[in-house]
Amino acid sequence: MGYSFNISTFNNVLRELSADYIIYAPVKIFNKGVFSDTDLVTYGQIKTLEDIEFEEKSHFSSKEIFFPITQTLFYFTEDAFSLPKISPKKIIIFCRPCDANGIQRLDQIFLKNGDLMDNYYNELRKKVHLFVLECKYSFDTCFCVSMGANKVDRYSAFIRRAGDTVLCDVSVDFEDRFSKYGTYVNMTPVFIESNDIKVDIPEKIPKSIFYHKLWDEYSERCIACGRCNVVCPTCSCFTMQDIFYEDNPYCGERRRVWASCMIDGFTDMAGGNSFRKNKGERMRFRLLHKIHDFKQKFGSNHHMCVGCGRCSDVCPENISFTACIQKLNQAVQSSDQRGLKS
Amino acid sequence: MNNPYLPVKAKIINVKPQTEIDYTFRLETAIKVASGQFFEVSIPNVGEAPISVSDFGDDWIEMTIRNVGKLTNVIHKLKPGSHLFIRGPYGNGFPIQQMSDKDLIIAVGGTGLAPVKSILSQYCKKTIHLKSLTLLTGFKSPADILFREEIEEWRKEFCVELTVDKDDTKNWTGNIGLITGLISKVSISDITNTQVITVGPPIMMKFSVIEFLNRKIAKENIWVSFERKMCCGIGKCGHCKIDNTYICLDGPVFNYYVAQNLID
Amino acid sequence: MLDINNKKLIKNGYRITNKRQITALRIRVPGGSLDVKYFDIIKDIAQKYGNGKVHITTRQGFEIPGIPMAKISEINEIIHPILIGMESEIGVSIHNPKTGYPAAGTRNISACIGNNVCPFANYNTTELSKKIEKLIYPHDFHVKIALTGCPNDCIKAHMQDIGVIGMVLPMYDSNRCIGCQACVKNCQKVATGALTIVNYKVKRDHLRCIGCGECILKCPVLAWTRGEKYYRMVVMGRTGKKNPRIAQTFMEWVDETAILKVIENLYHYIDQFIDRSLPKEHVGYIVDRTGIQVFKDYVLKDVYIGSLSKIANYMSFSGYGHEKSNYF
Repeated sequence: MGYSFNISTFNNVLRELSADYIIYAPVKIFNKGVFSDTDLVTYGQIKTLEDIEFEEKSHFSSKEIFFPITQTLFYFTEDAFSLPKISPKKIIIFCRPCDANGIQRLDQIFLKNGDLMDNYYNELRKKVHLFVLECKYSFDTCFCVSMGANKVDRYSAFIRRAGDTVLCDVSVDFEDRFSKYGTYVNMTPVFIESNDIKVDIPEKIPKSIFYHKLWDEYSERCIACGRCNVVCPTCSCFTMQDIFYEDNPYCGERRRVWASCMIDGFTDMAGGNSFRKNKGERMRFRLLHKIHDFKQKFGSNHHMCVGCGRCSDVCPENISFTACIQKLNQAVQSSDQRGLKS
Repeated sequence: MNNPYLPVKAKIINVKPQTEIDYTFRLETAIKVASGQFFEVSIPNVGEAPISVSDFGDDWIEMTIRNVGKLTNVIHKLKPGSHLFIRGPYGNGFPIQQMSDKDLIIAVGGTGLAPVKSILSQYCKKTIHLKSLTLLTGFKSPADILFREEIEEWRKEFCVELTVDKDDTKNWTGNIGLITGLISKVSISDITNTQVITVGPPIMMKFSVIEFLNRKIAKENIWVSFERKMCCGIGKCGHCKIDNTYICLDGPVFNYYVAQNLID
Repeated sequence: MLDINNKKLIKNGYRITNKRQITALRIRVPGGSLDVKYFDIIKDIAQKYGNGKVHITTRQGFEIPGIPMAKISEINEIIHPILIGMESEIGVSIHNPKTGYPAAGTRNISACIGNNVCPFANYNTTELSKKIEKLIYPHDFHVKIALTGCPNDCIKAHMQDIGVIGMVLPMYDSNRCIGCQACVKNCQKVATGALTIVNYKVKRDHLRCIGCGECILKCPVLAWTRGEKYYRMVVMGRTGKKNPRIAQTFMEWVDETAILKVIENLYHYIDQFIDRSLPKEHVGYIVDRTGIQVFKDYVLKDVYIGSLSKIANYMSFSGYGHEKSNYF
């Protein structure tokens, strides 16, 4: 059902929702950019529509809201474990279609990979309701259309801001809250239908491509900083950390913390074995995970990558993920596989 | 809600040093395990790591743990009566059923003996049935030999060939050389009915498999066990992923036909 | 032959050269940032009055050589848009912009490119240059000031009477930290080793930290972010024949107001203690005479010292002299 609001009536909806929900959206934080006197666009809690950043792509995805960077799994005292409390409030996330699709990818890993469900993820995830923000235009590194992640069909609300007017397509669950302050209108969500960047994903990837020289340049260029992983809405890897309290080393907590397959140590085992020492191999691993392995593994109709382009946006070495996909595609397409190393 | 990350406390009922750096810990637990499976073992405030089960009984499991890092260093200091925290078992073990009434050759290097030890024990106890069993086991040096007493017992039950890479003691009378040397000489009577298990360091497994293939063993009859960093054991943490395979879920035991395509 | 008052000529921003009656004009460029529209004026003077060349000075000004002294007043008329645009408009009081530069003692404030361009810079050096220029120009006292965006000190603030180095207080959100240690390794390698890992999270030793902001730049997850801007002031560095030396830290973790106030006070100090029997006395030598404690008492007058701020109790100048008599 569609509703129309002005800023103040929409803020009434937000105010009412905030009684039961913590509301997150892309926000612009003054002077919190990496460089001096620059701003940061990231997900943060909001109170009003004016808090929402509609014009710029956020640096990080929304995943940290329900898959925290550092998450305590349990506390331990000498003989017992106890579980951390979580807020009884539900969560609303204003996010773009790519991020909404990214959440589906994380669901696959945490809830459906293997027989055991990740209860920590599930507990937060089931609180999440998505208010999808309409993309007015595609940013320069976006390639969501190529990844089929430009559209969302399931959302709690779909939001379009046009000047001082806010148009919403609202699901039944939220109908009450919206109808109270809005006026009924027809509203059809509009999605981005083309990006400046288009990629062709090779359907079949021969094993021989693992030994192709196309990966070599990344061994030289990549600095293994892991920015591409941490900004990715679909990267799900984590590492366990046991910490003890300095005052009482017998008490502490087990945490999980985001991990990055690009950073040194990801595969290190006690005893000294490790894998993918070359950054080119890590690039291959990450790229194929995003545009091949996931789809292969789960037989889904989409790849893991949602084409948000953040990995390209943040790479300090200016490595373009889509350029790498193109190189891979070319290598796969060229039937003679020139470039194969012996 | 079911929390797969919460470990359970398991009492250490025996600690048996095998070498200076390899100890076997027997834990009291009723958890049922299959050969080749692993547990996530932890000491809260130190850390957690995947460790394979080296043997098990009705109310105990054994793990042979090498002191190679922060966690295992602390574990090595534990005495009987103290506790480890475990969750599992995880992964697929060796397909023992598929091997019944066949010739089984096990070729292992170093601590690779641990994950297959329970197969050897069960064979001795006659709880699994094989046409024949051959163990080829290699260690770096005589000082690194694991399960010395057991090996002597095993020799009475099946063919055991042991080799060391090098001998510094000068009083070693056994084989010296790489395990691939043993593989090239092992007698294979019925090639289509021979199953092979090989476990050990990546490089040892690689060359052992090549040697078995040279001996005309079909890829489908070779089984390997992978060891990778794992933080969850349940397909979430991503550390053990190779291509579209999660070692913790789909392995750690793989048929070589599958394993040959697993490129890190 | 023209009758030239050398002192007046020098004060007007011109130079006595090795050719009689031929001078060179120095254009001030506070902070080294110049609107290219002034290039036309500089070019015209060089082509019409000079030898067609311009020398880029070490202090980031332009020196136009080969100018006949007879043309000074004509040239002063031509450069007046530069005086208005580069000086009057930023608040410097210029009595009559058509008579050229009113003073040359206090040298051009030089600055690195700052956070307008450089990722390492912790503040806008161009803007602070303008504020300082407004405070101290025109003035005859021989003072050299340079601003640098970070402790890399590309502008060589350590060779100045007053060098201002940008700092930032790094803010750490341990919940965001993934323990990759990029900051720890980098701090050890390129900075001061102020960071260590405890329980998988980072601890910062504030006494070792120089506020360079490298940790913020290296952090992939923004566990480190920018807090308040701060500054370090290094003083009494100098080149010169007599006793060249590197500047020493006088204060650190101070704010912009403190920097401006100390610079303002420095001129009162010089006024109080300068040896007027000499043709000119460079501030560094005045401090050598009065001692650092007197200097400190004067320049810290009415300076707000924040809770993080540190003022040096003692400064040990290195440098070298050629004979002991310099000191006794």
